[in-house]
Amino acid sequence: MASSLLSLRHINPPLRVAQTSVRYAAREVNTSDPRTDIIRRVLYPSNLRNRASPVGNWRPDVARRLQRAIPSVQAHETIERAWLLHQRHVRKSRQSELDRKFQCMRTAMEKLRELDLQRYRAANELEDPRARSEEELELLKTAKAPEKKAMEARIRGLFPRELRVPTETPSRDGWNYDWVPPSRPTQ
Amino acid sequence: MFAIRQARRSGISALRARGNATLQTPETVDHSSTPAPPLVQAVEAESSTKPAASNANEALEDDEPKKRKGPYKFWPTTRPSISLERPREYNRPIGVGVLPAYDEALAYIKRDSSRLSAELTHCKTQLEAAEKEGNASEVERLKEKVKILEVQSEINLPSVRWKARNGLADMSKPVYRHLLEQRWREEGDLDLLMERIHQMNVVPDMLPSLHPSFDLRLNFPEPPPEDIRLRTRVKRKYEKVEPGVYLLPEQTRKPPMMYATVFHTDTRLYTLLMVDLDVPDPENETFQSYLHWMHPNIPLSSSTTAITLQGTHTKYIPPHPQKGTPYHRYVMLLVPQTGEQPIEVPHFSESDRLGFDYRDFAATYGLDASQGGGAHMWREVWDETVTKIYQDVLKTEEPVFGRMPKVDYYKEMKKVKKYI
Repeated sequence: MASSLLSLRHINPPLRVAQTSVRYAAREVNTSDPRTDIIRRVLYPSNLRNRASPVGNWRPDVARRLQRAIPSVQAHETIERAWLLHQRHVRKSRQSELDRKFQCMRTAMEKLRELDLQRYRAANELEDPRARSEEELELLKTAKAPEKKAMEARIRGLFPRELRVPTETPSRDGWNYDWVPPSRPTQ
Repeated sequence: MFAIRQARRSGISALRARGNATLQTPETVDHSSTPAPPLVQAVEAESSTKPAASNANEALEDDEPKKRKGPYKFWPTTRPSISLERPREYNRPIGVGVLPAYDEALAYIKRDSSRLSAELTHCKTQLEAAEKEGNASEVERLKEKVKILEVQSEINLPSVRWKARNGLADMSKPVYRHLLEQRWREEGDLDLLMERIHQMNVVPDMLPSLHPSFDLRLNFPEPPPEDIRLRTRVKRKYEKVEPGVYLLPEQTRKPPMMYATVFHTDTRLYTLLMVDLDVPDPENETFQSYLHWMHPNIPLSSSTTAITLQGTHTKYIPPHPQKGTPYHRYVMLLVPQTGEQPIEVPHFSESDRLGFDYRDFAATYGLDASQGGGAHMWREVWDETVTKIYQDVLKTEEPVFGRMPKVDYYKEMKKVKKYI
């Protein structure tokens, strides 16, 4: 599974190339003046290599951690393939379901075209999503700003959005059983 | 008794010494809080202790030596000696329960494989029925489906993938042919070959287009050992040749061992050609080709591994790059023959070899390298061995090439006295 020419493995770069002999501690000296401390830390930063650097530019423990995470290359490859296979199956099933629904819709429209051309044309007409009925325009005049925004953003075909934020307890006014959604214009 | 003392810093090293910083001297080190950084050897020892149930795939990873003496050397990896003659059984890479994700993945893959195998048997019965009926388009569609299913049903199985990686591929099965072809095409071998062929300008110089369809591997004996004493005492092993590298004339004295991984099941006929592209042509002040080896009508299919030649057609003459010429490119081609019937090529005599025109030859005998085939190339430079080749094999005087002597325009003027 390795990639391209490097998988031929003729090149093995050395693991450690340069090494200084002098090691500076991170915080050792306690002086009264914190300024000299800061200057010293800037000029002579710690080069003790005890643990991996926090920003990630020196990570000697990578080999051990990789070995722990991926103990076997073959097992890793098998898991990767199985997961991608599963994803492919899910994707395929979703796509085929969608295709089936589309085909059903298409055959239904074909039948409608054969039966009633006028109704077929009516079913195929495009709708202006920004069109509003008179009722809705009246409501918009008296509505508050967030309600107005929600009405204008309402898209036909989607589940109607409720303006209220869901709360844990019901409102003081109770549930409005007589609420009717504003009617959409029919053409 | 001498005590080892640290030398005092003086001169330039004194200037480099940073006296203001606190140094981590042995007295100030607190071993409990800051452990010493791990050594390079320790990391290698850790990585070499792998789980007990490790198979040959693990051995394919770097086998670095435990201790390195002297300067760092690039250590080439060696493949384990697994082949169809010395097969090894496939084992799980890790035990049951070590990685639950692996066990789950394996179960999923096996379920998918059995489902696809069932679909494959169903498809095959359908294909038989369609063949009996004689419905051509249906037969073709079902054949394609059978091909795809044969590969898909086994390609995810780890045992199959391991065998394909480790030289145990059964070329009669489409899965293995697919995996090997995928490996050759996508993991760099074909790319390297084509890179070298195009960079060395083999393609416009010798042929207009070359699209290899199978993996041709050449093995020449290794170069002589550096120790002069061992040169006649050690038997030289045959090593594989990377396309485009320099070889010594003594390595190419004898014909190479050729191996091919062919991906088509039907037997097709190929013509073997070995051509030197850089033989100087002093009369025309240019370069010409020389045919070193030719052998037509070689049958190859997925069941052939080593290329064995029946008899000799145009015998092998070892490469002999002339002294004074720049490097010579040698191209080995296995070109597919377009016709079904074997072609009748007349034997090339010694005089016909020089000035060999591949394009002419291919047009005459119906050879098309853009339709497939195998290719390889290497380069050579003059050596004292070439003198021996001219004496023993070619039995002609060795030519030496060089620049033309510079024309001296003032030759006559130099004879005449200028200042009287």
